[in-house]
Amino acid sequence: MTTASASAAMRKVSLAGIMGNRGALWAAVILMLLLLLVPVALPGYQTLFRTILMYVALAYGWNTIGGYTGYVSFGNVTFFGLGAYCSALLSAHGVNNLFADVALAVVVNAAFAALVGLPILRLKGHYFGIATLGVALAITDIVGNLDAFGGTGGLALKTVDEAHFSIYYYAAWLVTAGAIGATFLVARSKLGYAFVALRENEEAAAVLGIAPTRYKIVAWAISAAIAGAAGAVFAPANGFVDPSIAFAEDANVFPIVMTILGGIGTVAGPFIGAIILSGVNELLARWFIKVHTLFFGAVIVAVVLLLPRGLVWLFGLRGGARTWLKSLAAYKA
Amino acid sequence: MSAPAVATGRTLVVEALSAGYGDTQVLWDVTLRIDPGEIVALIGSNCAGKSTLLGAISGVVKTWSGSVCYGDQTLTGLEPDRIVRAGVLQVPQGRRLFGSLTVEENLRMGAYLRTDRDVEPDLERILGLLPRLRERYDYLAGRLSGGEQQQVAIARALMGRPQLLLIDEMSLGLAPVLVDSLIALLEQIHQTGVSILIVEQDVQTALEVSSRAYVLETGRITLSGPSAELLDDPQVKKAYLGV
Repeated sequence: MTTASASAAMRKVSLAGIMGNRGALWAAVILMLLLLLVPVALPGYQTLFRTILMYVALAYGWNTIGGYTGYVSFGNVTFFGLGAYCSALLSAHGVNNLFADVALAVVVNAAFAALVGLPILRLKGHYFGIATLGVALAITDIVGNLDAFGGTGGLALKTVDEAHFSIYYYAAWLVTAGAIGATFLVARSKLGYAFVALRENEEAAAVLGIAPTRYKIVAWAISAAIAGAAGAVFAPANGFVDPSIAFAEDANVFPIVMTILGGIGTVAGPFIGAIILSGVNELLARWFIKVHTLFFGAVIVAVVLLLPRGLVWLFGLRGGARTWLKSLAAYKA
Repeated sequence: MSAPAVATGRTLVVEALSAGYGDTQVLWDVTLRIDPGEIVALIGSNCAGKSTLLGAISGVVKTWSGSVCYGDQTLTGLEPDRIVRAGVLQVPQGRRLFGSLTVEENLRMGAYLRTDRDVEPDLERILGLLPRLRERYDYLAGRLSGGEQQQVAIARALMGRPQLLLIDEMSLGLAPVLVDSLIALLEQIHQTGVSILIVEQDVQTALEVSSRAYVLETGRITLSGPSAELLDDPQVKKAYLGV
């Protein structure tokens, strides 16, 4: 390969477009299919893998707004929590149907995101991030003070008997597969390009006729619908929700770190990041229960310094450490 | 400047336009017109309000009073996408490319609102006009040189099939030889019937390429007329040409 064509190749693969690397995508699809076997092959680990799937879905939810449109939300747990409460409220009214739970959560959260997004998606950068955090804290307090939501005492949900418990696993798998599928379709569509255009240069997008607020609201509504669906499956599987569970800090922060590790604004990145971090976190939590969250902080720093575009980026690089260092230098330049 | 072979489009009329940001008024009763097939220059120093005026025409800056009409269509207060659909496109200052997308993707983004089937032939035609971009087709736009980036910015706007192109500070930060080639490009674009409003700090270049010009000073039009006359105007010479 000549120097010129080598550098041309590097310029192209260094970011791998809005789809991300195809090899990484295939790896994610195959792993996802293998995860379908967990209830049969590893029944004792069902809860663990269901939690991992939940984080994968949350990571995809965050990726739509934080990865594709570049609007870093610190409040996506709001949608997860509201989704969980949708199921809890349905259960309190005698409806115990996972399809109904997910459908209600998707509609309620997309509508809520659009409503809240209308004012706060006009904010940019840090201001948007702080506003989303404010929304998350406010909703947690509001829910905790409403009797209809069970207040701080929470709400119990009717769960299926032990023998049929894998239904929750399959539901979580379907929600996650739906999130990956939705991201794939968005990334292939004009809609995905509009999101990326907003991330890259909102003013340029506007003068080309891509209405920023409209598209940002669509992105956030999709993001909220995915997180809400994950919450809607989590609640009945858990059998109980209260504000500290539904709006847990972990469900807010982990998906962001997972997406950044895997590769923001790519189709496979959130999956790869979530699988690796969930696995490592689980092991560290067993061995070093008190300090395992330190690991997440270290991962954020390491990724920002060494893998600014996440692990998916490595899939596209050919030529070992030297190519990686060169690409890293080119990316930071 | 020769007239284009086919003058399409309509007349843009900006009438007594005032605009600004927050409490700060930037434009005061600005009036100008661009006839079909014309190249008009808007010149002025830093902070004169040139980009604000372009923003107000494109709909990204809110107008306070006055009107912008394109033919019999009123553009005042319309969202930017409606203005793009009307055929008025802006090449923003500082190029503002989508840096992590390829040149091809950037060009296709220019056709975002189009639903017709001529996007591919248009892409070919524009690459014919700018052979350098064909060579850089799969490069990330953010990694190109300044001159190449400006070509992408212009080509991206052309993909939107403009009848009127608003070009903001095209020559900023570019070597004179690159500016010359971009001017040649503008003349080619003009020959296809597109009207052009160029906004420039490089007054000499702007007046040479345009048929008429307006001088904007602290938000007001202070002088206007045929570009050849303005080139000889003592006031313009003193303030902008340093002679």
